[in-house]
Parts: sequence; structure tokens; C-alpha cells
Amino acid sequence: MTATTVDHDQVHAIAQEVFAAMVDGDLGLLLPWDGELPELSDAVVAWVDLLGEWSGRAVLVTGHGTAEDLARALLGLADDDEVSREDLEDAFGEIANVVGGNLKSLLPNHGTLGLPQVGSAVPPLAGAVRVQHLPLSWRGRLLVVDVWFAAPGTLTTPGGNR
Amino acid sequence: MRALVIDDSRTMRRIVSGALENLGFETIHAEHGRAALDHLEAGEQVDLACIDWNMPVMDGLTFVTEVRANPAWRAITLMMVTTESEHGQIVRALAAGAHEYLIKPFTPDAIRDKLDLLGLVALEEPA
Repeated sequence: MTATTVDHDQVHAIAQEVFAAMVDGDLGLLLPWDGELPELSDAVVAWVDLLGEWSGRAVLVTGHGTAEDLARALLGLADDDEVSREDLEDAFGEIANVVGGNLKSLLPNHGTLGLPQVGSAVPPLAGAVRVQHLPLSWRGRLLVVDVWFAAPGTLTTPGGNR
Repeated sequence: MRALVIDDSRTMRRIVSGALENLGFETIHAEHGRAALDHLEAGEQVDLACIDWNMPVMDGLTFVTEVRANPAWRAITLMMVTTESEHGQIVRALAAGAHEYLIKPFTPDAIRDKLDLLGLVALEEPA
């Protein structure tokens, strides 16, 4: 198994499909980021581990305000509705879960999917290699999708915070 | 008709419930398979269960197996709603007794189409 099993266009297509179906209802609203990447001082990170012969991690990163708006879109809330921390983590985690689950289906030995986790930073994965890095624009705001490849056996137990 | 929506994500429970309620279903929720079995064992009557696969405590495949092992729940239609999209996983779920399989992400129309296949909702006649 190699670290290049998942290619850039496949990851982008999956992210677009997930956002179209769950968030926007339109395939064209998650585009490649154009220009210099802004620094995310208030990052929210959601990730899900792919466990098996091809082990890895799908990671989504965005700003707190963007994660709040994603939660509003998923939960059908108004623009000025408060979003609880619990709702934000659940909604952003579910997006990572669906992206990760669809990435898993591309892998030669599908393995299992961990439960989604959400935090302000992703914990380091010893010896892992980032195999895809997609800075994307959702409604003009930065959302990054990363895919990491880990040595077989590095990730062994489904984690998760819900 | 009544549906039991089983998913560890509150977000996904709300999305699935919203789609079902738009089709006329009344919905109740559970955050994992064990909690869903508790509903059924308490005597809740449902026509349909929409079941996530990967959940803590009890996963969706185990829930399907448990429901199919109880003749009293034979009339419940079971539909997996999950990111598990590999052919082998679909076969496992259907072999365990699931009637249909819907892969996330999905649209409300996709739920409607699946339920129509199951005879649980009538599609509108074309104008």
C-alpha cells in the first residue's frame, strides 16, 4: 500500500459532493482557494481516523466563525441564531465523518472508520505523512482538507468524542 | 407513520428527521443502537428505522441483527443511512436484515426515492 492512494481531484470531488448534499445544495460553492492563505487564529479542527492496512486521517480545518455558519446551515438555523459549542462540534465533526467515510471507500483495503473528533488542534500522528492538502474556499472563507497517511498499525482503535 | 432515527450525531438526526417529517413521518430519536433497542423494548411502535453504522455503545449492524432476531419487530423496515459505501459492507447489512441502504451524503430526494422503493411514501403524480 502506498501513501499516494488518494489523489487530489478525488478528495476535492468528495468534499464538493458532501458540501453540495449537506450544506449548500449546489456543487459549485466549494472552490480551490485562490491567493495567499490567511492565518486562522481561531481554528476549529475536525478529524476522523481511517483504520486498517491503509491507515490515515482525514482532517478539516476552518475558522470558528465559518464552523458556526456551517453548523447553522446544517441545522437550519437563522444567520443570527446562537450556535452552541456542542452543536458546532457535532455539525463540523459530522462533515469530517462523511468526508472521511467517502475517502475510506477509495482505499484498496477499506478497513474501518473511527468516530469523529473536534478540537482547536489536531494531535500529532507519529511518523505520518500528509499526502493531500487542499485549501478550499467556502463562500469566500478558508476551509482546508488534509489527508494523512500513517504507518500500518499506528492507528488501531476507533476514537471519538461522541 | 413513525420512524426511529438512530445516529450518534445530533446534526444527522435532525437532517434525517427533517426529511422524514417533510414526508409525513413522526420521528423519535436514539443516539446509538442500544438506546434504540430500549425504545423498542419499551413498546414504541415504529414502521421504519433509519440506522447509522458507526456509533458508540452499539453499532448499526448489531442493532439490525438484534431487531431481526425478535419476531415481534418483524414488521419494522430497516434502512441503513451511513458513510459505509463499500460493496462488502452493503452486502453485510442486507444479509443481516436491512431492507435498504442510503449512503451519506444524501439529499432529501434520495431519502424519498428509497422510501418509495420500500412502499413507505407515494411519489407525487407528475403535473
